[in-house]
Amino acid sequence: MSSQLRLKIVTPERVVVEQAVSSVTVPTRQGQITVLPHHIPLVSLLTPGELSARDEKGSEMAAMAVSGGFIEVSGNTVVILADTAERVEEIDEARAESARERAKQLLAEVRSRDDVAYATLVAKMEKELARLRVARKRKAGHLPRPEA
Amino acid sequence: MAVSTKIIRRRIRSIGNTKKITKAMEMVAAAKMRKAVNAVLSSRAYADVAWQTVMQLVARVDRTKHPLLQPHEKTTTAAFILVTSNRGLCGGFNSRMVTEANGYSRARRASGVTDQSWVVLGRKGGEALARQEQRVVAEFEKQDMAQSSADVTALTTMVVKGYLAGQYDQVAVMYTDFVTPLRQEPRIKQLLPLEPAPDETLGSVGRREPALVSGPRASEYLFEPSPAEVLDQFLPRLIEIQLYQALLESTASEHSARMLAMRNASDAATDMMWGLTLVYNQARQAGITREIAEISGGKAALE
Repeated sequence: MSSQLRLKIVTPERVVVEQAVSSVTVPTRQGQITVLPHHIPLVSLLTPGELSARDEKGSEMAAMAVSGGFIEVSGNTVVILADTAERVEEIDEARAESARERAKQLLAEVRSRDDVAYATLVAKMEKELARLRVARKRKAGHLPRPEA
Repeated sequence: MAVSTKIIRRRIRSIGNTKKITKAMEMVAAAKMRKAVNAVLSSRAYADVAWQTVMQLVARVDRTKHPLLQPHEKTTTAAFILVTSNRGLCGGFNSRMVTEANGYSRARRASGVTDQSWVVLGRKGGEALARQEQRVVAEFEKQDMAQSSADVTALTTMVVKGYLAGQYDQVAVMYTDFVTPLRQEPRIKQLLPLEPAPDETLGSVGRREPALVSGPRASEYLFEPSPAEVLDQFLPRLIEIQLYQALLESTASEHSARMLAMRNASDAATDMMWGLTLVYNQARQAGITREIAEISGGKAALE
């Protein structure tokens, strides 16, 4: 039992994941890290990107796009406080793409004027980019899989 | 006779009209309540987990690592954030909150916090404080329905800055906790300095994560990139989440309280109509009886 991590991912809207896993990979400010059981207590900042968890056989259980937040590891408990977290299946690629385009355009307009608005937009853009990346990667990965 | 039944009938009609209004308000409040309750329940998990995480950190991390964790040497000034409703007709919702707030304010004053500033969310609380001539330093616009945590960003920035600048030694939020649709409780929660207090989370539905709180973890936390950077981001965000949750709890409580008050009013109107209808019928019957008595009396006189 002790070689399992209790993973809990919550966003302001809902509890996204609450299950036992054996490793979690998250995008942090300083690059991607993978948390294994018996990790030392850690608190870190998340950046927009892909988050995934694996069970003991190494097969992937949950892949999702997160857009910033915090991770706390203590004992064998991993708590992820994400601003948003979406499972790959939930991401609408077309919508993500258009949202990114919109953000990009706005960014060009706002750039010179308003610092706060600019920062918000940059964050939004990063988030959309992360969603898109995650969605594309997964979709591509799913295609060659032979039908059982 | 004619006069009295007419008056009674008019009363009955007027009460009937009032009942229609209270009934409609009850329905509106019920619809808003459903929405507000959904919002409060779905964000509660996040707020609870965030609060627990910080409480764990506070208990284990060197408190000098961040100014928001460090209590000021003397506590003489305080900022109280009072969350109430914008509108009335919600039973004792606002008055209970204000009474509770006053009690706390007096208690703090007695223990040396003499310089108290109030920050108000919701018009009713502002009016009550103005009547008592308390010092209200800011009044934030409160939406009927809280949309996102951006609603409280300005407020968060203000109190966090105030605390860091030494303007306030204590920051507490006062809100009405949504327990069930029939029960709401005024509650006061200290936000700053962050004290490792026994878990006193917002709300009571679906809480308590014993596994998260227990466990031997005396070890030091590793912070990436650095403690200062992580705490700089995390702590203000936490305050914001807590304030947002308080706002949501209050909104849900307000609509529940209003729904209940309106239901009581509708029930009372029904009761009154019953009573008045009885009186009306009696008066009418008495009138008829008297008329018959007069007619038969007149006839008897003729014979």
